[in-house]
Amino acid sequence: MELLPQAIVDGILIGGIYITIAIGFSLAYGVMHIIDFAVGEWIMLGAFTGYYLNLWSHIDPMLLLPVVFIVFGIVGYLIQPLIHRVISGKKGNPVLMGLVFTFGLALVFRGSGLTVFGFYSHSIPAALARNSFFIESGNFFLTIPHIRFTGLFYAILITVILQYILKSTDFGRAVRALAQHREAAGLMGIDARRISSYVYGIYVGISAMTGVLIGCIFSITAQMGGEYTVLAFFVVVLAGMGYLAGVPWAAFLLGLVQSFFMIYFNPSYTLLAVFVILFTILLISPRGLFGKGV
Amino acid sequence: MDEPILRVEHVTKTFGGLHAVQDVSFDMAKGSIFGLIGPNGAGKTTLFNVISGYYKPTTGNIRFEGKDISGWPPYRLAHVGIGRTFQIVKPFAGLSVLENVVIASLCRYPKKKEAETHAWRILELTGLADRAHLPASGLTLAGRKRLEVGKALALEPTLLLLDEVVAGLNPTEADQTIGLILKLRDQGITILIVEHIMRVIMNISDEVVVLNFGQKIAQGKPEDVARDPAVVEAYLGGEVR
Amino acid sequence: MTTTHRKPFIAGIAVLVLAALPVFIHDTFFLRVLTESIMWIGLAIAWDVLAGYTGYLNFGHGAFFGAGAYITAFLIKFVGAPFLLAMPAGGLAAALLAFISGIPTLRLKGAYFAIATWAMARALQQLALVLDITGGPDGMRLPPYLHPQFFYYVMLVLVAGTFALMWYLLEHAPFGLKVKAIREDEAGAMSLGIHPTVIKMQAYLLSTVPAGLIGGVYAYWITYIDPASVLGDLVTDQAVVMAVFGGLGTLIGPIIGAVIIYFFKTLFWAYLSDYQVLYLIILGILIAMSVVFLPNGLYGTLTGRTSGKAAIERGLAIETKAKTKEAAHG
Repeated sequence: MELLPQAIVDGILIGGIYITIAIGFSLAYGVMHIIDFAVGEWIMLGAFTGYYLNLWSHIDPMLLLPVVFIVFGIVGYLIQPLIHRVISGKKGNPVLMGLVFTFGLALVFRGSGLTVFGFYSHSIPAALARNSFFIESGNFFLTIPHIRFTGLFYAILITVILQYILKSTDFGRAVRALAQHREAAGLMGIDARRISSYVYGIYVGISAMTGVLIGCIFSITAQMGGEYTVLAFFVVVLAGMGYLAGVPWAAFLLGLVQSFFMIYFNPSYTLLAVFVILFTILLISPRGLFGKGV
Repeated sequence: MDEPILRVEHVTKTFGGLHAVQDVSFDMAKGSIFGLIGPNGAGKTTLFNVISGYYKPTTGNIRFEGKDISGWPPYRLAHVGIGRTFQIVKPFAGLSVLENVVIASLCRYPKKKEAETHAWRILELTGLADRAHLPASGLTLAGRKRLEVGKALALEPTLLLLDEVVAGLNPTEADQTIGLILKLRDQGITILIVEHIMRVIMNISDEVVVLNFGQKIAQGKPEDVARDPAVVEAYLGGEVR
Repeated sequence: MTTTHRKPFIAGIAVLVLAALPVFIHDTFFLRVLTESIMWIGLAIAWDVLAGYTGYLNFGHGAFFGAGAYITAFLIKFVGAPFLLAMPAGGLAAALLAFISGIPTLRLKGAYFAIATWAMARALQQLALVLDITGGPDGMRLPPYLHPQFFYYVMLVLVAGTFALMWYLLEHAPFGLKVKAIREDEAGAMSLGIHPTVIKMQAYLLSTVPAGLIGGVYAYWITYIDPASVLGDLVTDQAVVMAVFGGLGTLIGPIIGAVIIYFFKTLFWAYLSDYQVLYLIILGILIAMSVVFLPNGLYGTLTGRTSGKAAIERGLAIETKAKTKEAAHG
C-alpha cells in the first residue's frame, strides 16, 4: 500500500509522454484519415537524431527539442504529398492502401535505423536527468525525477499550444473544418492538401521531439519503434479515433497500467495487459471510452 | 381488415439533437402500393432506413406480419421477405449483371446452380436477360435501376421497398418501370414506394403518407391527400397533380 | 478447353511436375529451397485471401504461423504426439486466435483490424519470450527428423491443397461471390441477406488456418523455433510484400510475388548476409513503391485484371460487336 502513491505518480508522469505521442497521431488521423504505422519509427528517428546532435554539439537535449521539431516537421511536410497520392488513388481501396504504405514506410525506417544506428542501446544525457524531487511524509515517500516531471510539463505545454492553435487561429479553424467535412471545407476555399501537409508535418515534428525526451528518460534502440506504435494505437483507440479531448485520459490510464505492472506485477506482461484492454474496448465500445471516436 | 403486413408504431429516430423522424405511425395493407412522400429533408429516407434495418428506431416499433422486427439488421430482414432498393444505385461493380442477381438469389437458393436458374428468371422478368454478361457498371442508368429492382426481387420478398426507382428515367423508361411495379403488385407483393415524381406516386398508390420535418402530416387516398391544405402548404405550391 | 477450366488444368500440371521433381533431383539443398519457396507461396496466398478479397489487412499474420509452430512443437516435444496430429492442432490454435481477434474487430472498419492484429502479434511474441513452457528467448528444440523429401511433399500437399480449396471457394462457390459483394458494397450486400461479419470471419479463418498449419510443418521441419524467428515481424513483412508486389485480390499474384521475392531473398542472403538489415529496407521500399506505382501488383498490372474501367471497356466491346452483328443480319 505504501507503494500506491508512487505507482500513481509514476503513471501520471509517464502518461504525459503518451499524451504527446497520441495527440499528434490522433490529429493526423482526424484530418487525413490515415493510421500511420510509422509513428513509432518517427519517435525512434527523432530520438536518435537528438542523441547524435547532442553527441556532436554538446548542447543539452532540452534545447535541441525545437530543432528536432523543425527538422522533422519539414520532413513530414514533404512526405505528406506522397501519402496523399496513395490515399486519393482510384485504384483499389485507398484507405487501406494508405495503411499498407505507412506499414512499408515503417519497415524502411526500421531497417534504416538498424543499418545506421546498429543494435546498440543509448541514452541521451540531459542535465535534468540527474536529480529528482523527493517528497517525504511519514510512511509516504515519493521520488519524482526532474526529467520525468519535465516530460509531464512538456506534454501539458504541447497540449495547451495545440489546443490554442486549433481553437483560436485561422489555421486551426481550417484544420477542424477539414477534419469534420473534407468536401465542404474544400468548397469554402480551404486548401486541403496544404493544410494536410502542415498537419502531418506537425504530427511528425511532435513525435520526433517526444522521441528525444524519451531518449533522456529511457534508453533508445533502433527497434524501439514497434512498441511505441502499439502504445500510440492503444491510446488513440481508447480515446476514440480522432477525438483529441479523450487522449489525456487514455494516456494517463495507459501510464497507470504500465506503472502498476512495473511495481506490483511483472513488467513483461504489460504488453499483454494493454492488448487485453484494447480488445475489450473494441468489443464493448469501439468508439472509445467516451464513444466519440470516428 | 386483415392484419396489416407492416405496422409502423410511433417510430422516432434522433441523431444527436436532430429529430429526423418523429412519432410516425401507419399501417400498410397487404397487397397494396403505399406511397411515402414529402419535401426534401422530410425524413423519408431516414424512415426508409429504419424500416429496412439500417437504423435502429430510437423509440417505437416496426411490425412485419405481426412480428416485431424493430432493430433487426438488413440481412435478417432479407431472409424474412423484405427487399429494398437504394436511391443511389450502386451495383456490384466488377461483377456481371447476372452475377449481381445471382448474389441476391443466394438468399433463397443457397446452391449456386439453383440461384443461377432463379437469377435468369429475374433477368427475364426485368428485361435484362440480353445484357446478362455485361459488367454491371457498364449499364445505363435505366438498366442499373432495373438491376436494382431485380436484385430485390430475387429475394422473393413479400414487402418491397422502392427508393426513387423512377427518378432520372425518360418517360418511356418510367412507364416501363411503372408497369413492372403494377405487375409485381398483381403478383401479391406489397410495395412501399418513395418517389419525388408526384405523377407516379399519385397514379399508382392505393394510399399515401406525407411527411414533413420528420412528422406525418397526412395519410389517405392520393386524391384526398392532394387536396389536404397541410400537404399543399408543405410543398409550397409544388407539383401536386 | 474453356477458359474456366484452363487455369486449374495448368495448376494441376504444375503440381504434378513439382511432385515428380524429387524423383530426379536428390540434392538436399535444392529440395530445401523448393520446400521453403512453396511455404512462402502458401503464406502469401493466405494473407491475400483476407487482404485482397475483403480489404482487411492482417498485420499480425506471422502470429498465426508462430502459434501453429509453437503448438505443434509443444505437442511433439512434451506430449509425444505424432506429427500428423500435432500439425492440425497448430491449425486449430490459429483458428482459436482468429476467433478471439476477429469477433471484436471484423465488424469494425479495416483500420481497427490492422491495429488489433498488429498489437496481438507483438503481444504473442512477448508472451513467448516470457513463459517458461515456450522456452523463453531460447525457444524450443525438437528431435531432428531429417527427411527432406518427406517435408517437401508435406509442404507441397498442404499448399497445393490450400490453393485448390481457396480457388474453389473464391471462384466457384457462392462464398466467393458474397466476398466480392461485401468488398464492392457492404451495405448493399446486407440488404440481400449477406451477413458481412460472418463472411469476413470465414475469410479470416481461410487465411489463418493454413498459416497455422504451415507453421506446424515448419516447426517439425526446421526443428528449432524461437520467438524471433516464428513470432517476429519478418514473417508478416515478407508475406505482405509478396502479396502486394505480386497482386492483391488474385490467387496467382501472390504466387508470382512469393517466387520473385523468395528468389531475391535467397540471393541476398547468399551474397549480402552482412547487410541483413538492408533487406528490411528493401522490403519496405518494395511495399511502399508497389502501393504508389503498382497498386494492382505485378500480376494485376500485366494482365489488366481487377481494373473496373478495363472490364467496362471489354464488356462494351462485346456488346457493340453483338449489336453490329445483329444489324448486319437484320
